[in-house]
Parts: sequence; structure tokens; C-alpha cells
Amino acid sequence: MAELQRSDADQLAYDEAFDRDGNVRPLYAAIVERFSNFDAAELRRREGIIEEEFRRQGITFTVYGDSQGTERTWPMDLFPRLIAATEWQEIERGLAQRVTALNRFLADIYTGEGAAMADGVVPAWLVQSSDGFERNAFGVSVPHDAHCVIAGIDLVRDAEGQYRVLEDNLRNPSGISYVIENRAAMTRAFPRVWEDHTVEPVSQYGRMLRTALESVAPTGAGDKPLIVILTPGIYNSAYFEHAFLAREMGVELVEGPDLVVDEHVVYLRTIEGLVPVDVIYRRIDDTFLDPVSFRPDSTLGVPGLLGAMRAGTVTVCNAVGNGVADDKAIHPYVTDLIRYYLGEEPILPNVETYVMWEPDQREAAFERLDELVIKPVGESGGYGIVIGRNATDEELANARAEIEADPRNWVVQEVVELSTLASMCDDVLEPRHLDLRPFVITGERTQVFPGGLTRVAMRKGSLIVNSSQGGGSKDTWVLAPQGETQAAT
Amino acid sequence: MRLDIAYRLHFAYAEPVSESQNEIRVRPRDDLRQQVLSYRLTTTPATRVLQTRDYFGTTVDHLGMRASHDDLLVVAEASVETTPTDSAPAPASCERLGDQQFVNEHVEYLAPSQHVQWGELVNEVASWAVRGAADDVCERVQAVVQAVPTVLTYERGSTTIGVTLEELIDGGRGVCQDFAHLAVGMLRCIGIPARYVSGYLFALDETRLDEGPGESAPAAGDGAPGSGAGADGNSHGLVGEDVFTPERAPAASPAAISVQTHAWIEAAVPGYGWHALDPTNGGSVSERHVVIGYGRDYNDVPPVRGVFNGSADAKVDAEVIIAQPTAPVSMVTEPIRRQARVAVSPSTDTSAQQQAAQQQQ
Repeated sequence: MAELQRSDADQLAYDEAFDRDGNVRPLYAAIVERFSNFDAAELRRREGIIEEEFRRQGITFTVYGDSQGTERTWPMDLFPRLIAATEWQEIERGLAQRVTALNRFLADIYTGEGAAMADGVVPAWLVQSSDGFERNAFGVSVPHDAHCVIAGIDLVRDAEGQYRVLEDNLRNPSGISYVIENRAAMTRAFPRVWEDHTVEPVSQYGRMLRTALESVAPTGAGDKPLIVILTPGIYNSAYFEHAFLAREMGVELVEGPDLVVDEHVVYLRTIEGLVPVDVIYRRIDDTFLDPVSFRPDSTLGVPGLLGAMRAGTVTVCNAVGNGVADDKAIHPYVTDLIRYYLGEEPILPNVETYVMWEPDQREAAFERLDELVIKPVGESGGYGIVIGRNATDEELANARAEIEADPRNWVVQEVVELSTLASMCDDVLEPRHLDLRPFVITGERTQVFPGGLTRVAMRKGSLIVNSSQGGGSKDTWVLAPQGETQAAT
Repeated sequence: MRLDIAYRLHFAYAEPVSESQNEIRVRPRDDLRQQVLSYRLTTTPATRVLQTRDYFGTTVDHLGMRASHDDLLVVAEASVETTPTDSAPAPASCERLGDQQFVNEHVEYLAPSQHVQWGELVNEVASWAVRGAADDVCERVQAVVQAVPTVLTYERGSTTIGVTLEELIDGGRGVCQDFAHLAVGMLRCIGIPARYVSGYLFALDETRLDEGPGESAPAAGDGAPGSGAGADGNSHGLVGEDVFTPERAPAASPAAISVQTHAWIEAAVPGYGWHALDPTNGGSVSERHVVIGYGRDYNDVPPVRGVFNGSADAKVDAEVIIAQPTAPVSMVTEPIRRQARVAVSPSTDTSAQQQAAQQQQ
């Protein structure tokens, strides 16, 4: 028998599988039962199958700054994460609502009247001072206002089990390929685990994304628009994913030099000659897209691409300038943007965030900095974050001085105790903290891909779920509504 | 004043190149001060030109030449009617610069930008420039603009586009865009919003162009305020289109290029609005200044930016001819003609580094 540890009774965080009294939640009853019948050796054997599966297929990710060779096999924990059908429907509605509002916001900024700024929902100066605000995107319209065709929204569950939005990723969110590969590996390692559950499939992603990309093709594109994925190349951390998506969608994977612009039309160079390109799903940063309009030293982009976008002969996804809407300084305003554009109450709350340029919020935060989390808006990957309760008085005083010197550069958040779930650590299934990144696809309409990428911090007590910092992942099951049956592939 | 402007840009390559792509910003702006009567841009060989307007309201002509070519001529012709500038702004107390609404409205023109970054040295020069100035924003703006030619001596070809403000002060020499950048930086660092203006200057025949190297004073060694050119820095008369500066380009083609026209500045005065001044030419901006557009710095409104594919050296002639059709023949200026060579310098990032640097969220 493998030991399946319950969460500690005094744990602050919500545990996905066990309630506060240590009883297994009904959602997890069957899977806990099944795992309780495996002994440690059996679990190790199956773990080996998963690892072998990823190794054989070359499913890796890149760790920058690692002298041991930058490629690692993708880490997947064998205990799955489950989401009940009713719970998922709520998340799905909340995500679709949020991304719809964010797309409206981007259209308002770049091709609209700037109504949200004029009406004081978001301060205009905050938008203008955002690093992600891209002046070259002005006047470039996108069919269906789908500025963000693919969004990855990071959700966490607080101590009460409430899902909250930690962060929006609206530029080049990655990870969808791992969702699909995790399911495949799970199926191989636990072929009978599906007997107890009806799980929403994930294999339709390629079709779903392709349909969305086809729907944003320029009007002159015809019935069969040519779609390409523009990758920076093999040295990029997510190259595996770029190649994977090209295969799943049946489209060309190209690099900048494979494309050429002639009289404001983008062409793909092929052995049969030049073929006009309608939609470019790009995985390179805005400032590298076109050396004419952006960084002149970019070797990854396509000269003249911005002119073609302005001429309306090609659609680039995600659109240029989306970084303004996923700026950490804009995040606190997103719930108000939902109310403003859609006239609806937000379904998914934000992690409670205070902005330091509002004197009232700043003073209130200064009263209790030792209970809060202090984040610089310009950093990512956890850099520069001060956790109030772990900080010394001196560190808090320094943080306070830095906030006063440049309030635009800081936000302060309530601590969220990320929920936990059993994960395989040294032959024992122990609770570890996790988050969830669902993917939201927008074409003619906005749809949410079932489940998403669950990331788990494999170190005890750690809240850092990033794979580049030792985080793992979990296959994530959205259970089908009862009474329906679907194949779990 | 009615002015006819012909901007002629000639790319000549030592060997045939292909896939040249360019953005051109040379069309005068329509605003309350000036009205564009006509504008036409043609290329030889002919190609389809796409005209758009950018975030700052500047007209952009996008044009490219995919086929192999060793020669590309772009000619833009504009007729524009300018009106004399308004009277000087009314005095405004410096206290009003701190007004939160004023700061928020001008946030883009108060923050450092790509070519306008400042540190201690610029701070020092700026506070030296406004020492003894009254509590009046206009007077401070004037003081800064007049201090610039005492820090910098005008010298053609003395700088390239990547130069920092600190390097400029140290070097003590520059061209119109350097004068403008330094003035913008000094103003921003004392809390006065300032923007960079690109345009044309109709140089009347009584003015002379700075042609002689003898006029340029040696660089100020320590860049201390007041050293360097001294009062003589102001005596060059009007200075027109000038320098050509290569931008950093990748080792592999395409190469990057840029050409410039004249540059001056505008400062935001509380209760008045944008006030235009020409730091290169003694301060005042008149109906002989024709605005193309403005931005945070040069990078938002370069007359030409572009790349081409090929290893050839490029020679670029940029020529501006400005004429006043109603004036007597003797009033028509000589063409302001400049030439420069494009240098292709290697990029510091390798392609692999650039690939790795692409953020996957």
C-alpha cells in the first residue's frame, strides 16, 4: 500500500482531495481508492512509464542558465487533478467573460475611442506608461476584435476553495502542448484509471485553435486561408510546443526568413514559388516582429510585416500590443473593465490587489505590509517579490521606501494560500501547492479549452510552480456532466 | 507663408540588393499652424505605396522593393501654408508642474525614452541652466534652450544616433537632433514635459549653413556647464538638414538605415499648451519651420527607417529643396545637400540569443 498523506489539520490552504477533518472529498473518492491499492513499487514503475513516454517523444522544456544542458524531460506527477463538471462550468463562464472584456479593452485602446480611459475606468496615464503599450499597434484592426486569440489565465484557489485570477497571459502563453501530452502519458501509465470516470477529452485542441485562426483571416483570404506558425527557432524554450502545434493543426512551422513581404502582402517561400499568407500565429515578441518598425537588429522578424498588417492583408496572432492588458498594474482594474464593457458582475474574482498610486490604498497597505505580498510590476518569474510575513523589518522599510519613490512600479496583494493536492514525493503521496492555467481561445466567439495546465510545486511548502524552478505538472481532468459519456482521449 | 518642399531620397547600392522595406515620415502635418495644400510621393522603380497614420498622428508612407535593384529613388513633394506662431505663453508658476492632472496628462513626455535617458550629469547641467531663473515655467524653458548651445557646438557628422546625453555633454559636439534630445532631457529632468519635433526649416538666404570644420570648438573635457563652445556655439545661423546616421544592423543582412531632416522641440507650459523652440538656432520657431510630426524622441518620428537584403554598401543621398513660390528668385535657397555612407555594423546579439530571449509566458 502506498502511503497517501492527508493534509495537516492545521494547514491553512484548501486541499483539493481532503476536507479539514481529513475525509476524502466525494470528487476524489474513486481515484484515492484506486491509488490506495498501488504499492510504492507499483507507483514507481508507472512513474517510469510516464518519464519514458516523454523522453521517447522528446518532450522537453528548457531551463535557461543551467550548465547541465538546458533540455529537461517534462516533469509530470502521476496523481491527477480533478475538476467537477459544475465547478468547471462556473470557471468556464468566468474565463470567457474575462477574456471577452480584455479583448474589448485592447480594441478600445488600439482601434477604438479609448472609451474606458475617457470614462475613468482605467487611468490613461497608466496605459501610456505601460511597457506593453505598443504605439505601433495603433490602427491595426483585428477581425472580430480577437486581439487575444490564445489567452492563458492563471488561477489559484484560496483557503476557502474560491478560484481567483492571479495573472492574465495575453501575449504568448505557452503550455497547451503539455496538456495534451500529459493526457497521453496518463493513458499509457494508467490504462484502467478511466473506468471510474468520464473525462472531457483534450484531443480537439488543434482543431479548435485552427478554426479560431481561420476565423480571423482577412476578408480577402478565401475559404482555405493559409496559416503559419512563426517560431523564433530551435533555441527557444518553447520550440517543442511550436512544432507540436504545427503538427496538431496541420500548418507550416516557419521562421522569419521563410516569409517575405511584397507590396504589403506576406508570402511564404516554397519550392513552387511564393504563396500568400493569411494568418501568422507568431511566438516571437512584439519588438522582434519587423526590423523596419521595431528593433532594427532583429533577425527573427519579417521586414515590412507591420505595413502588411496595416494594409489588412494578413492577421498576426496574438495581436501586437497585448502586453498592456496583462500588465500587473492593469490587473486590478480588470474586474471593473468587465462591469464597464459587459454590464455584468465578474464571475471570477481577482486575487485582492492594491495599487500604490492611489493614496488611500497605499496608506491602508502600509498599515499591514507584514501581512501582504509586494510585487514589482515590471518583473516576472517571481523576481523582486517580498512576502510580508517572511520579511524583516528592514526589508519592509526598504520596500516601503521603494514604493514611495516609484508607486507606478508596485502592486501589493493579499496572500493566497495556494490549494494543495497529493503528489508523488519519495514514494509518498504528499500534499503540494498548485495552480491552474486554463487556455481561452477567441475567434468568432470565445471558448475555453477543457481543463488546462496544472502546475505543482514539488518542494514541500513551496509556492513556486514554474517548471523552470523545479515545478511539476499534473494531468487535469474536467469531469463530464453526469449522464453523458465521452471518450477520455 | 507658402512653402514648396521636395524631399528626395536616393538609395544607391554598390551591388544589387533585394527586399528593401522602408517607412518614410516626411509629409508635413496638418494642424492649426500649418495646412498641407498638396502632397505626393513617388518612387523609381515604381512600387505600391501604403499611406497610414501613426499613434502620434504623423503620416507614414510604407514602401518596399522585393525585386533585385541597385537604385531606389523616393521623391516626396509637399506644398504647405504656414502661419506665424502665437505670442509667447503667459507666465506660469513652477508649482503647477506638480499638479497631478498635469503630470498624468503628460506622462509620456516626462519619462525617459530610448534616446532621452539622463543621470547625474544631465541633472547638473539642467539645474545650472535654470539657476537664477524666476518662478516661471516659460523662463525656465527658455533658459534650458539657450543653455544647450553653450554645452554643444554644432558640428556636422559629429555624432551617431546611439549617442547618450551624457556622451553628448562629454563630447561637446552634436547636430540638430542632439541639440533637441539634450534640451528634451534637461527639461524632463526638471519636471517640464518636452517632446521632439521633426520637420523642415526654410533657410533664408541671409542665413548661412555650417560648412567649415574650423568653426567647431574642441570638446569640453569634463563636460562642465559653460565650458566647450561658449557663446560662439550660437553663431552658426540656421542649420538645416544634416546628418545621416547608420543604426545598428544585424551581421547578416538586412541592413538598417536612417536619414534625418531638421529637429527642434516643444515644451508643455501649464495653462498654455505646447510651446515650440529650436535649440539649434537660437530658440525661436517661426513660420519657416514646417512640422512633420513629434514624438518622445527621434525614434518615434524618423524621416526614414528601413532594411534591405544584401551585403552591399549603400550610399544614401538625402536632399531637401525648399522654395517659397511667391518670393523673388533671389530668396530661393540653395538646395541643402548632404551625403553619407551606410555602415553595416554587426549586431551584438547572436540569432540564438535572440531566439532564447523570446518570452513564452
